[in-house]
Amino acid sequence: MARQEKESRGLVPGLLSGMATTARTAFRPTHTRQYPDVAPDLPPRSRGVIALLADNCTSCMLCARECPDWCIYIDSHKETIPPASEGGRPRQQNVLDRFAIDFSLCMYCGICIEVCPFDALFWSPEFEYAETDIRDLLHEKERLGEWMATVPPPAAFEPGALEEVVVDEPATEEDATQPPEATR
Amino acid sequence: MVGVGAGGLASADMVLNIGPQHPATHGVLRLRITLDGERIRRAEPIVGYMHRGAEKLFEVRDYRQIMVLANRHDWLSAFSNEIGVALTVERMLGMDVPERATWTRTLLAELNRVLNHLMFLGSYPLELGAITPIFYSFREREELQAVMEEISGGRMHYMFSRVGGLRDDLPAGWLGRVAASIAAVRRRLPDLESLLVGNEILRARTRGVGVLSPELIEAYGVSGPIARASGVDVDLRRDRPYLAYAELFAPGGPGRVVVRSAGDCLARLEVLLEQVHVSLDLAQACLDRLAALPAGPVNVKLPKVLKVPEGWDYVATENPLGFNGYYLVSRGDKTPWRLKLRSASFNNVAVLGELLPGTLIADMVAILGSMFFVVGDIDK
Repeated sequence: MARQEKESRGLVPGLLSGMATTARTAFRPTHTRQYPDVAPDLPPRSRGVIALLADNCTSCMLCARECPDWCIYIDSHKETIPPASEGGRPRQQNVLDRFAIDFSLCMYCGICIEVCPFDALFWSPEFEYAETDIRDLLHEKERLGEWMATVPPPAAFEPGALEEVVVDEPATEEDATQPPEATR
Repeated sequence: MVGVGAGGLASADMVLNIGPQHPATHGVLRLRITLDGERIRRAEPIVGYMHRGAEKLFEVRDYRQIMVLANRHDWLSAFSNEIGVALTVERMLGMDVPERATWTRTLLAELNRVLNHLMFLGSYPLELGAITPIFYSFREREELQAVMEEISGGRMHYMFSRVGGLRDDLPAGWLGRVAASIAAVRRRLPDLESLLVGNEILRARTRGVGVLSPELIEAYGVSGPIARASGVDVDLRRDRPYLAYAELFAPGGPGRVVVRSAGDCLARLEVLLEQVHVSLDLAQACLDRLAALPAGPVNVKLPKVLKVPEGWDYVATENPLGFNGYYLVSRGDKTPWRLKLRSASFNNVAVLGELLPGTLIADMVAILGSMFFVVGDIDK
């Protein structure tokens, strides 16, 4: 084999070629990024944490039932809304009391987000929520709502895709808390 | 005068446990080895420490939820595992998958194969005492994982295939970035290659060690790169084509089956290396096809409750580590009545009981590492 012949030429050429490689590599920019100082570039689809837009949630329980390991907890009660106009009928509405996701159980499959018919759940690439106590990984409604600010706007598809995504204007400070879908 | 040599050297067999917690077992595999001095007399792989009851759990999960679990038995081939479930269900439903989805699936399956092989190309030298290659292989893995994460959102458990296609369409500009990643990996691969097969020490430790005969391969149902390293020319991508492989492995296509005849650890490593090249070629071919395809969907609209008609089917795919088959029995429910999983690593490790006796204990790690297994794939 040609490679073995080259190697058997002796110690000095081997050393020289080794040093040449070292010299070449020394002047190349590094591949490593010092993580806590330099944040990683995460794609918008990155599955980091699940955000909840509680206003859109109707407590229909679809996500909790479809979750493969049942890590979503939902409590709700019904409230009667008096008729809006004279002679109208009073309506019943679900009010969300508790919505919690236990991230110590979550398998990050995204089924809950996919099945949600009212666009109340979103993926966010945010991942820095490690805890020293496992019980703190149970995120309640408020904490899940805070993640909404980190949800990226829907990104465009490759040409050839059937669906077109409307890419919004860069979000202003005001509507940063709004879901991207709501502004479409 | 009774010396030690009077009745030959008196020695008793020693039983040595390798694992369940041993760095060379990549997890919790246990080998009970009976030693006569340095030589292995008997070896018995004891499996089950990582049994998670995946097959039983499949029975109480619908087909989308099954992918979450199927994803995880061989965590280095997550996409190929998903594809197996999807293909089985689609065939039982008689569902046609859009062309665009099929080509994207093929592309992702091949990228996944490269990722898997790069992992072993890095970890195997590590077990032989060479630390450097893993940094090179992980740099390439990172390159490809970035594009996998961009399309699927996951770095390991992609959860990107669905019955009938894929979860989402391709993000804008993704095809270009995949092409750039493939080119970068291809450009730098010779570095890794020369560190592996160009390394005298590594060659000395692997050549002629742990020779696996084609007869043993047939007897134990060994498959994948390990079988092909012993000259067993079988690859489901060519022999029973699924996805877009019929076209890729057609005469004149980029697909070819890598076969070696030596059957030793070095041959197994060489097959893995060569397969990375082939898979990159296949991925590039998929990219070219995807760019030329007319606009179309990547999935089909599914009913709210997906029920598979009564009957059974068995679909096997060529996973990076070997045959991965799903035997699905449905009674018309939204969950399978039984979903049997035939995973590659189980058979590939079972053969160790025949392969190890007669070898030296120092070669044990070299042989074990060259069987390229994932413990989750053994125990399920």
